[in-house]
Amino acid sequence: MSNDPYSTRVRELFDAPAHAGALETALSASIEDQGLRIRLFAELGIGEIRVLRFQAWGCPHVIAAAEQVCAGLEGKPVSDLLEFSAAGLMQSLSVPTEKTGRILVLEDVVRSLGSIVRDASNADD
Amino acid sequence: MTEQTDLIYLDYAASTPVDAWVAEAMTALMTADGNYANPSSTHSAGRRSVEHIAHAGSQLAGLLNTDPDHLIWTSGATESDNLAILGAAHYRQKRGRHLITMRTEHKAVTDPFSALERLGFEVTWLDPETNGLLDTAKLEAAIRDDTQLVSIMHINNEIGVIQDIAKIGAACNERDVLFHVDAAQSVGKLPIDLAALPVDLMSMTAHKVYGPKGIGALYIADRPGVHVEPLLFGGGQQRKLRPGTLPAQQIVGFGAAAAIAQSRMMDDIRHLSAMRDRLWSGIRDIPGVMTNGAMECAFPGILNVSIDDIEGESLLLALEPLCVATGSACNSKSQEASYVLRALGISDALAQSAIRFSFGRPTSAAEVDFAIERYRGAIEKLRGIAPGRAA
Repeated sequence: MSNDPYSTRVRELFDAPAHAGALETALSASIEDQGLRIRLFAELGIGEIRVLRFQAWGCPHVIAAAEQVCAGLEGKPVSDLLEFSAAGLMQSLSVPTEKTGRILVLEDVVRSLGSIVRDASNADD
Repeated sequence: MTEQTDLIYLDYAASTPVDAWVAEAMTALMTADGNYANPSSTHSAGRRSVEHIAHAGSQLAGLLNTDPDHLIWTSGATESDNLAILGAAHYRQKRGRHLITMRTEHKAVTDPFSALERLGFEVTWLDPETNGLLDTAKLEAAIRDDTQLVSIMHINNEIGVIQDIAKIGAACNERDVLFHVDAAQSVGKLPIDLAALPVDLMSMTAHKVYGPKGIGALYIADRPGVHVEPLLFGGGQQRKLRPGTLPAQQIVGFGAAAAIAQSRMMDDIRHLSAMRDRLWSGIRDIPGVMTNGAMECAFPGILNVSIDDIEGESLLLALEPLCVATGSACNSKSQEASYVLRALGISDALAQSAIRFSFGRPTSAAEVDFAIERYRGAIEKLRGIAPGRAA
């Protein structure tokens, strides 16, 4: 049995977070909770999330989860932001249960970005 | 299993490798062609084991300038601390039940004191100054007529500061209070003259000084009123203070490690100073980096640094393959900030970012340079990922 607190996947995502960074002209949502700071940026295509980037101050699981979320949601319908659930992240990254709250903070900021995107789209209409 | 050679080990305050000469001396007592007999046996093989143990006792006593008869072999510093604190408190409880220690002691000291509190003893927990040192005036003010024991560590295991045990011991002796020193980090690393120091009880361990794990010792001064009640029962070994079959090979290992330490202590200190200074010079210009504990009063084998606005757990992972200790309490599974650093008045956030680099005989300049590069790279990476504080 491994006593490594991080799965191979978490290590890969943490080592090379390809989606880390800011997008100057994008819509963004941020949250500061439970000692974490997370900010998401989205550039939209027609009905889809074209580019998604993140900034995060937190533990390796949070950084890895943010990277996985950004990679997974690019190219998906914008509605996926509002419907995002962190449940799958907990399992796929083997996040320890004591860190559930941190992953839920990430869920909150994704949904918050979804609300901002929706409101911006409604304003454009 | 990961091979040790993949790693850059800078955690010598946690444990050291067994010196090759020590390992050789130990092996000679473990195999069929060696002196493996039970030292309690009265036959000639048993007597030979006793001779080996006596020689090791002389080696350790020589390092500390004391008599081998004042040393009790234990399983390590944790047992020595427990025997000293619990044993002395119980032995002297008819005189009084007030005890004094510091908040920055190792858990092997604080936990026995907490256990004594639950038994009705009263403990005064002294805070350090912001540099990590004890203000002796505060100790003197805390000593009462019913105070029986003071326990203060020599070198702090997290921040490396060296307490003035001569001055503290003098203050204790003046008031007929026993003085125990947890010297797990200092025996074999700093000169210690027990013939001259006003120390009544001193805990030590082999594995911090290139000896084996599983063996330690407790020094008990030969002075009136200095005694401990045993924690273990079951045999007459070691004057019934710590019964049990003596692990001759472990003891021989500790003795050999002590002899080596004595012969090269000044060279070790020079080497550790060079490594510590090299590392600090390589990172001190990073914005927000600071040392924990006063470097000018610290053992050079330990450098504890915090950095502003960096998450400690991510820092530790980003530093791999460096093997270093975090500012989290005791082990990496806990995210609680170190109680030692918090006692210095350091914020939780800074304490959580703390990294303890500790150096040893095998540490090379190339390893330190790698650590510098890795630390700088990790900070740059994590600051690059993080949003601003006002986000």
